Amino acid sequence: MAIVDTGDVGLHVQRLTGARPTAHGVRAAAPDATVVLLHGLLTDSLASYYFTVAPAFAAAGLDVVMYDHRGHGRSGRPERGYTLGAFVDDLDALLDRLGIRNPVHLVGNSYGGTVAFDYALRRPERVAAMVVIESEPATPSWAVKIAGLLERVRHEMSVNEDAALDWIAAHHGGHTARLAKSAGRLVRDTTLAADIPASAVLDDDDVRAIRCPVLALYGADSDLAAQAPRMRSLLPHCATESFPGHRHSVLVEAPGRVRDLVLDWVGRHPRPAGDRAVQVR
Amino acid sequence: MTTIRPSGSAPTGSVRLDEAAVLAELTGMIGQVLDGYELDDTEITMETRFGRDLELESIDLVTLAGLLQDRYGSTVNFAEFVASMELEEIIGLSVGRLVEHVCLCLKAEGRD
Repeated sequence: MAIVDTGDVGLHVQRLTGARPTAHGVRAAAPDATVVLLHGLLTDSLASYYFTVAPAFAAAGLDVVMYDHRGHGRSGRPERGYTLGAFVDDLDALLDRLGIRNPVHLVGNSYGGTVAFDYALRRPERVAAMVVIESEPATPSWAVKIAGLLERVRHEMSVNEDAALDWIAAHHGGHTARLAKSAGRLVRDTTLAADIPASAVLDDDDVRAIRCPVLALYGADSDLAAQAPRMRSLLPHCATESFPGHRHSVLVEAPGRVRDLVLDWVGRHPRPAGDRAVQVR
Repeated sequence: MTTIRPSGSAPTGSVRLDEAAVLAELTGMIGQVLDGYELDDTEITMETRFGRDLELESIDLVTLAGLLQDRYGSTVNFAEFVASMELEEIIGLSVGRLVEHVCLCLKAEGRD
């Protein structure tokens, strides 16, 4: 198990480079393309990628980097320091520590996409393109919504954890209940629930300034689906896809279609336009 | 490459010698994943299930996959083994299914 110390926190990293030559000796995707997979909040971890799309990305010739966010999975769990900026710093430091200098492709699920939007705004030169799954940038309305969600989780897991876990086990299965128990510890033992809603937010001009190509995937029955037209109008280069019959859990429920859309998006955006000139010497 | 096997695995008492050896190794790895102490009263058999019986989370199975790779190298590819399964199915796997997979991989490598 690889732990990468950013200087601030130890991050659990899994990297797959399962590139296999095809019959003709060429790889299916753009060589040297690195895809960084960012998971969501609380009950999520890199396992949501490891057991769904990650092996297929590696088999397609991509360099696949997955890591657990601070406080999640097998990464370090500091008591404080959970604003969105801290998660963005972690990504930046991780790319430095791994020696990844070429622009990367970001894939962000839920809050992982929120991290990706912020990173693309802050470090445009490091992001070739991104795919966000059931996600939104850190807007003021996002902050209100996430504050309500985190407070509800913190309350339910503090006041009557056993009843909450029983309900989750009955409706979503034992595994989800175990994940919820870990999430309960995270919101009780750290400042995450207060820090994330207090993060610096983006206004419309900030979102317009995210220049990299963005593919946004939505569950057709999710509350976020209504944001698709707005994202297409604000972001300079944005396409959206809808998953009929799905709500928020698009990644684990429809991994085949997510995989195909990501591989297509990565293949179409090998590196930022401005970077190509640098490559010609 | 995915090998489809019946989910029942070998019945108790008929565990073959090579499978018993792999089961013992996997038991040690599961102990490492759980930091040891949580396994005190749990005997791991071919029928033990990762999720229901051992209460492993998906991230624990990622750690287990890493330990398998440390031990067996690329001979045993856990990610490939579970590639066609859904997350819930992976969590529902029995230890026996994984033991059988490891044995098949080792046999294919000629290390049986």
